[in-house]
Amino acid sequence: MKIEWTKTGINRRKFLKGATALGTAAAMPMGFAGSAFAAEDGVLRVRAYGDSDVMDPAFGKGVTDETVHAAIYNKLIQYKPGREWDWQLDAAAMIEQVDATHIKFALRDTIGFTNGFGAMTAEDVKFSFERLIDEEVASPIKGDVGPLSHVEVTGEREGTIVLNEPFAPLWNIALPYAAGNIVSKAAVEAAGGRIGTDPVAESGPYLRSSWDPKNKTTLTRNPDWKGDAPAWDTIEILPIDDENTAEIAFEAGELDFTRVSLGSVGRYRGGVPNGGQLQEYPSLYYVWLGMNLDHPKLQNQKLRQAIQHAIDVPTILEAAYFGAADPANGMIAPGLVGSRPEALVPAAANFEKAAALLAESGETNVTLTLDILNKTTYSTIAQIIQATLAQIGITVEINLLESGAFWASGDNENLQLVLNRFSMAPDPSYATSWFVTEQAGIWNWERFRNEEFDQLHTAAAQSTDAAARDEMYRRAQDLMEQSGAYRFITHEATPIIHTPRVSPALRPDGLPLLRYFGKS
Amino acid sequence: MTNSRSELTQIVVGIVRDPLGLVGLLIVGSIVFCAIFAAWIAPYDPVAMNIQARLEGPSLAHPLGTDQLGRDTFSRVIMGSQVALKVALPAVFGAMFIGLALGMIAGYGPKWLDNLLMLLFDTLRSFPTVMFALAVVALVGPSLQTVVLVVMATSIPTYARVARTQTLSLRNSEFILAERAMGASVFRILGVHMLPNIIGVLAVLAAMDIPTVIALEAGLSFLGLGVKPPTPSWGALLKDGYALIRQTPWLVVGGGLPVILATLGFTFFGETMRDVVDPKLRKQR
Repeated sequence: MKIEWTKTGINRRKFLKGATALGTAAAMPMGFAGSAFAAEDGVLRVRAYGDSDVMDPAFGKGVTDETVHAAIYNKLIQYKPGREWDWQLDAAAMIEQVDATHIKFALRDTIGFTNGFGAMTAEDVKFSFERLIDEEVASPIKGDVGPLSHVEVTGEREGTIVLNEPFAPLWNIALPYAAGNIVSKAAVEAAGGRIGTDPVAESGPYLRSSWDPKNKTTLTRNPDWKGDAPAWDTIEILPIDDENTAEIAFEAGELDFTRVSLGSVGRYRGGVPNGGQLQEYPSLYYVWLGMNLDHPKLQNQKLRQAIQHAIDVPTILEAAYFGAADPANGMIAPGLVGSRPEALVPAAANFEKAAALLAESGETNVTLTLDILNKTTYSTIAQIIQATLAQIGITVEINLLESGAFWASGDNENLQLVLNRFSMAPDPSYATSWFVTEQAGIWNWERFRNEEFDQLHTAAAQSTDAAARDEMYRRAQDLMEQSGAYRFITHEATPIIHTPRVSPALRPDGLPLLRYFGKS
Repeated sequence: MTNSRSELTQIVVGIVRDPLGLVGLLIVGSIVFCAIFAAWIAPYDPVAMNIQARLEGPSLAHPLGTDQLGRDTFSRVIMGSQVALKVALPAVFGAMFIGLALGMIAGYGPKWLDNLLMLLFDTLRSFPTVMFALAVVALVGPSLQTVVLVVMATSIPTYARVARTQTLSLRNSEFILAERAMGASVFRILGVHMLPNIIGVLAVLAAMDIPTVIALEAGLSFLGLGVKPPTPSWGALLKDGYALIRQTPWLVVGGGLPVILATLGFTFFGETMRDVVDPKLRKQR
């Protein structure tokens, strides 16, 4: 099948169409013009919490860039929208794990790159994956592809991904996410080996037609896309950091889709303005109170356990998360392999047990510092922890830190208690990787060192047996909790609202998959 | 002594006779009163939580509603005045007295000392206060003392420069020359003859600086770099209020109103005092 891949650009018809729309809008009073844009039939306006300015998937900054990359590039597989984690074919017509270290794939013959860079081939797949592990490229997401060895090209559109050792997370966090984006080898090489702020060749159902830094990213349909036609002609992504602002924009009719604050969930449960709908998704983030095991004040395990039992998670969830989030049973959120049905320390505080443990510890006049990021949510949590620990006679002094100072706390040996929140990908290995011994003092701020935990982390990542992985990750979290260094609080939640004309396509953690957004 | 008392009475009378001055005096007096008697005026313990009563609107029980931890906002506003003045008064008056001493030394001392001190003042003044405060707080951690020290350090040059200018203009005046001719010591000249002529101007400057310092403390607390929780401060109220503005606007009102009132009050008070103290302006009135 021969495909003519056209170059992107504005032709006469597009120009006239755009100019007419602009002229019409300009002729209208401002307020009316704004509403007309928001309600325009083929235009979907969504909010992102940050700007998307890196178009090289190997250097993406996470969710904000991937939101655009997932729409303009293809992967072998993509996350399947829905409430349960699953994937579906994208650029691959076939993909199969033939043994523990070999994954065979065949590309569809209908996918090609814009700007004259031709059809997507197995060479492009090889180039895209192997540049991630290339020391010279120094991709920050190298770790996502774990023990990738190379990609063997066996035909124009066929190949095999070869691993040095088994790596189960590849299917969950590499192939369908940022590391899985396939770029054009010829286009990237022509660009000098790295894509900047402009995509050099796109292949997805949408093209990034314009980018107004910190203001708007516009995606328009790819005229050469041969897959299922996307529902929206144009998607406008507006970077709005503040959720209050985004909610006001939505209520003013300027947005079709946005994540909202947990504090607003109660109000939106009673009805979303403009006939919109609220959907509540669980989140993968995990929030916990950590205790530095190397600090002289926290050497006593009974003291640490007393602290665990004196923290009342339901009160925290009510005050800081407005009752819209559930308690966490560990780092690994429900719905993922390794999620524990319950924590070893129950969510509700047990002050009697805490007081007894403190008495057993023999510690008196305990005064500890609690370092937190200077945001209202964490300040609220910290003050509740301060108040509840005071009930068993432990004095807590709260240190508010700005983000630069807070995120540099890894090597702070004076750290005592710390309230922390990590992001998470949909594979448990992503969580355990931060708490292995070699991460102590880097991201493992508790300096938790446990040989069995390290072995479980390695073994579980290599296992392709889901049941065995599940068992290992549960045990790993038990070990963390038994050390007394962790009090798991919540995974938070992802509430979103959308207008009635939108049928959002979301990952099970509520993140948008724009290419699958439909109309209702 | 009698002269000083009559001068003070004259200033107070001058302020009270001016409508803006009177408003300023009343506001400043109220803030000071609240700060001194906060523990008796506040209807509730400002740090006592009641999660079940969180984010309530104004009522007879809670005139400004409650915050996200169910604490009475009105009580926190009242107690916040203590923090505001605990930062503003030591910082401003500390800066004023150190600046006064250094300025008089610069103005009356040898030329090389004057040059050295001027270089020091210019160096200190070149730091933007807010950026300097952010840097120091980031390094040593937030606390009331840190805020006081930062404000004091950045304000000293302003007072010192004014004191130096006044000293320079006075050092060759006839009554100072006469004192020197009669063999008066440097300390006597500076302390007895020059100080009373300089302190009034600096007091006006201090009164006008207090709202700036209060706003700075509120700003740092708004950024989460002011006083530590659960200490109530107007800036912390504003910070929480901003985050929760879709749930309740009353935290922003509770945190914002006192900052506005303090700014207006101290500004009216300071401006009127300047008019009263400055003989040229006094004649124009």
